[in-house]
Amino acid sequence: MIRAAALACVLAAVPLWAAAHQMIVFASVDCEAVTVEAKFSNGNAVQQADVRVLDGANVLLTTVPIEQDGTATVQLDSVDHSTGLVIEVDTGSHDNYWIVTPEDIAKNCQS
Amino acid sequence: MIRLLKLNVAVGLLLLSAGASLAQDRPRIVTVNYALQYFAERLVGEAAEVEFPVPQGVDPSFWRPSIADISEIQSADLILLNGAGFATWVDRVTLPRSKTVNTSAAIEDQFIVTESITHSHGDGGEHSHEGLATYTWLDPTLAMAQADAIASALTSRQIAPVEDIETQLEALRADLTVLDTEAKAALATLQGVAIIATHPRYQYYARRYDLTVSSLEWEAGAIPTEAQLANLEVLVRDTEAQIIVWEAEPPIEAFEATAALGLRNVVFPPFANAVGDKNPLQTFSDAVSALSNAMAN
Repeated sequence: MIRAAALACVLAAVPLWAAAHQMIVFASVDCEAVTVEAKFSNGNAVQQADVRVLDGANVLLTTVPIEQDGTATVQLDSVDHSTGLVIEVDTGSHDNYWIVTPEDIAKNCQS
Repeated sequence: MIRLLKLNVAVGLLLLSAGASLAQDRPRIVTVNYALQYFAERLVGEAAEVEFPVPQGVDPSFWRPSIADISEIQSADLILLNGAGFATWVDRVTLPRSKTVNTSAAIEDQFIVTESITHSHGDGGEHSHEGLATYTWLDPTLAMAQADAIASALTSRQIAPVEDIETQLEALRADLTVLDTEAKAALATLQGVAIIATHPRYQYYARRYDLTVSSLEWEAGAIPTEAQLANLEVLVRDTEAQIIVWEAEPPIEAFEATAALGLRNVVFPPFANAVGDKNPLQTFSDAVSALSNAMAN
């Protein structure tokens, strides 16, 4: 029975990990730039990753590298952000995203 | 005759425009799963538009919304989250705090923690993560708590008259109580019967009704691969399982393959999204019958 329980745990756990992608991505925006932060769930900064910036139609606008502190900056005047931006961070083994809507940009620009 | 026709057309247009205006004027509520949509609709009646934006056939746990979807959600009057880690997208967007309600906030002490998963990131060394079982509403007592949270959110935002919400909540709680009582009686025959689920969806259900359920990670509604069937055979041998629960009906070949291992097939859609014309309470009731009948046949 213990063997069975262990097997069931393994069967259940492995795909969970694959789906969970324990990397956290956060992006904040002001009038000038989107600041992206990426870290693992243990708190360590992501040090090697591609940051892809896509528009509302999922068209790739630009790709920027992440800095050693796990951050990246995308200047708003360097991309067409009128339909919002999807920020994807991909380390090769983990990936995650953050969605910035046109309303997020407008709201944070006013404040 | 022509005058009468014109009058009818004018009245029709007026009614249409009033209907459209009513739809536009009603508050908008967005939910992250079908169960919450159903509860909210029961509670609010016609006083608000309740939307569940995940497309049919897409698993709402892992739905990736578009920017336009998020813009729509951000502009809703009320956003009902399930909590317990359900719907990964909610942690990847900015949601207006004043409009967002976590319907399971009051039952966090009853969450089920899933197995630890050990792995490493680069130089980070080996470490573990714990997850939460997310399908809270499959325990009717937890579903009631979530309905309470929705009612409270509707009341505090004055989305519908308080008396109406209270009446509807009482009716919904009564329905859930009946469902729970019937399930307890029907599933008592399954005590000690090992069950295998094709997906880890039924943890709260199993705990509520004292069922022994092991979970696989099979794709919903698909034919299992040979490797998956081989793993299942080992699991059946080790657990002496007699029932396999599918969250969506697979092709007949899949049923035949599992039946060949001595398993009785039961389909139990966990109503994270809508299935056919049945509401969640009917789906739940049907699944209880199917499970209890599986051992009777």
